[in-house]
Amino acid sequence: MALAKNLPVVPSAPSGTMALKPVVGIWRERYPQIIQGRCNACGECLYFCPEGALKLKGTEKGKELEINMDFCKGCGICAHECRQQALRMVDEYTGPQGLLG
Amino acid sequence: MGCRGCGAAIAVRQAMEALGSRTIIVIPASCMATIGGSGLKTAWRIPFYHSLFECAPAVASGIRAALEVQEIKKINVVSWAGDAGTADIGFQSLTGAAERNEDIIHVCYDNESYMNTGGQAGGTTPFRAWTSDTPSGKPTRHKDMLAIMAAHKPAYLATASIAYPEDFITKLNRAKEIKGFRYIHVLAPCHRGWGIKEEETVEMARLAVECGLWELYEIRAGERRVTVIPERKIPVKEYLLRQQRFRTLSEEDLAFFQAEAGALNG
Amino acid sequence: MRQLLNGNEAAAMAARLARVEVLASYPITPAAPAMEQIVRFIAEGKLKAKFIRVESDHSALAAAVGAALAGARPLVITNSQGLAYMSEVLYHASGLRLPIVMAVVNRGLAAPHTRFPDHGDAIAQEASGWVQLFCENNQEVLDTLIQAYRLAEDERVRLPVMVHYESYIQSHTREVVEVPSEEAIDRFLPLYRRPALDVDNPQAVNVVTGPDLYMDYKHQQDKALQGSREVLREIDLAYAGLTGRAWGGTLGVYRLDGAEYIFVTMGSLASTCREAVDMLREGGLPVGLLKIRSFRPFPREEVRSLLRDARAAIVLDKNIVYGSGGALAREVRASLYGLARGPFVYSYIAGLGGRDVTSEDAVRIYKMVEEKVKANLEPLPYEWYGIE
Repeated sequence: MALAKNLPVVPSAPSGTMALKPVVGIWRERYPQIIQGRCNACGECLYFCPEGALKLKGTEKGKELEINMDFCKGCGICAHECRQQALRMVDEYTGPQGLLG
Repeated sequence: MGCRGCGAAIAVRQAMEALGSRTIIVIPASCMATIGGSGLKTAWRIPFYHSLFECAPAVASGIRAALEVQEIKKINVVSWAGDAGTADIGFQSLTGAAERNEDIIHVCYDNESYMNTGGQAGGTTPFRAWTSDTPSGKPTRHKDMLAIMAAHKPAYLATASIAYPEDFITKLNRAKEIKGFRYIHVLAPCHRGWGIKEEETVEMARLAVECGLWELYEIRAGERRVTVIPERKIPVKEYLLRQQRFRTLSEEDLAFFQAEAGALNG
Repeated sequence: MRQLLNGNEAAAMAARLARVEVLASYPITPAAPAMEQIVRFIAEGKLKAKFIRVESDHSALAAAVGAALAGARPLVITNSQGLAYMSEVLYHASGLRLPIVMAVVNRGLAAPHTRFPDHGDAIAQEASGWVQLFCENNQEVLDTLIQAYRLAEDERVRLPVMVHYESYIQSHTREVVEVPSEEAIDRFLPLYRRPALDVDNPQAVNVVTGPDLYMDYKHQQDKALQGSREVLREIDLAYAGLTGRAWGGTLGVYRLDGAEYIFVTMGSLASTCREAVDMLREGGLPVGLLKIRSFRPFPREEVRSLLRDARAAIVLDKNIVYGSGGALAREVRASLYGLARGPFVYSYIAGLGGRDVTSEDAVRIYKMVEEKVKANLEPLPYEWYGIE
């Protein structure tokens, strides 16, 4: 089966083309759950996420932590590092909002 | 595309905060060269080149020469290598670039073994560490890359740890403004190679600093300055024995490491 | 303007006329003087370029790769051990389709150690994907190095080019060389920019590639190399228009009219065989010369059509592919494959490690071949000339 391949001359990939679904989020076995009231939006966890899946979003209530589930692999570093213990790792399948929950 | 909890990925993301979009990065064979993507997809948003293993600093030298001859200014040229691409197979090109005072930043992200090929020992692997080719523990101590690179009297030299992102980012911001050869060595644990849980990656990079085995400092214009004094000081065994790779450490070995780290109340 | 230049000086002059922008080279005998001459040009303000005083041959080509990726025009000068050392990087240069030009001052590979010439270092890299052009004399060195940039940078090619000349025989021997004017070469070789590493247009170069794509890239690369023959011919003609000198594109011919015996060779041996042809023709013998200029890509069609009606091709190889024979003879035989009645191809290995091959030697070889042809003796796979 021949595919029409429009290869570039120089073997390369165009910048920023990784952002296609489904992405590495499918590797997850657990995911971080934000515990209401504990997160003070300090932003430390953003520095420690290997996937860059954490963002602080501005809302009327101030800054809020947002997790990009397309890229979160569930490594647990954010939960482990959070000084406020505002994140808890929950099973991907059986936890609330889990696939089997 | 790295493992869950990859320390290398954390290091690059922190670095990109400082480096910005006017950066060209060369990465030799290493995990970091590959986890950005494959085929026709990449996560990189800056110009990136996966170079051959031994020559990232040489490639970076060539890139800088090309930019200069075209009078293209204000671009960071970075060679970003693991410990092999810095201390071992990459050492020749590194020392050459340093001696020529090439206007590049070399960052070594150090997970203290050759993780991309399955976790073999390398020059920066610590004494007595288990690796896939030193199963009874590495019989020799690690190569002191900081001393070696300091001897080249580079324009800027610093250590860093992914557990101290603000320190790392500050150092990169400082390095950006300096011309000449700049060397930054960042400790970026690999949980698979070190035998820790994936969520402990950053914690381990902190314990290394807290026990004194990894000091955070910089050398600028010949002056050495400690940049972070950790919140607490712990004995080396609280760092070492958490890692499976050090499970065969004897009391003698621990004493050796403790001496390396300096006395607890020193 | 006519100057007395040795091969290294001719190469350096060509680099200056071609406005090379980055010189990344590691000293090696006897190529270093070429590099030093260019460094002097830079120091004297006669060439605006950067010299990267690399710490190894491998780093020399690596730096050139970096420079080409970032859009500049690089030059590397090396040979023998240096070429072998940087061989790993050759495949990046060609696989990444970079317009790098390399002057190779052909020298035999150790062991045993030699500093004298043969083509072993070049042939060892015949599969590297680089265009390989062999020069017969210092004039050709100068002309070819300039043409090499236009070839490498051509949109249809985009491949690195090696320009071969021999250590000492050419590198250190002075000949009269006509040096074209800067204006002429500026017209011939416009400034070229095609950076793959560009902050305004970022991409990831040399991303990990799987079986689904790798072979397609290689196919693309091979097509480009095959197609470069035509481009080389065009370029050679354009250069002739400016300077009055053409080199035949991929190959040169000498006195092929009615030739029944044709020498086929590359490099300085072509000069030697020209003299032998003249000597033999004076005796009324129908001998000619086919000089291969472009070994990669090999001009199969042309060789086939030029040799098909000869009685014998006498191939002189200044190289040995151990266990197989001379590389040029192998290519010649492949070019003639399938002809119902083609010439016998006699293969001689000669001149390795700088062993002298004179025009008398070439005449002697002709005589040996003539005897065998008359006795209807089929050629051996290959023979070593000058070995008792």
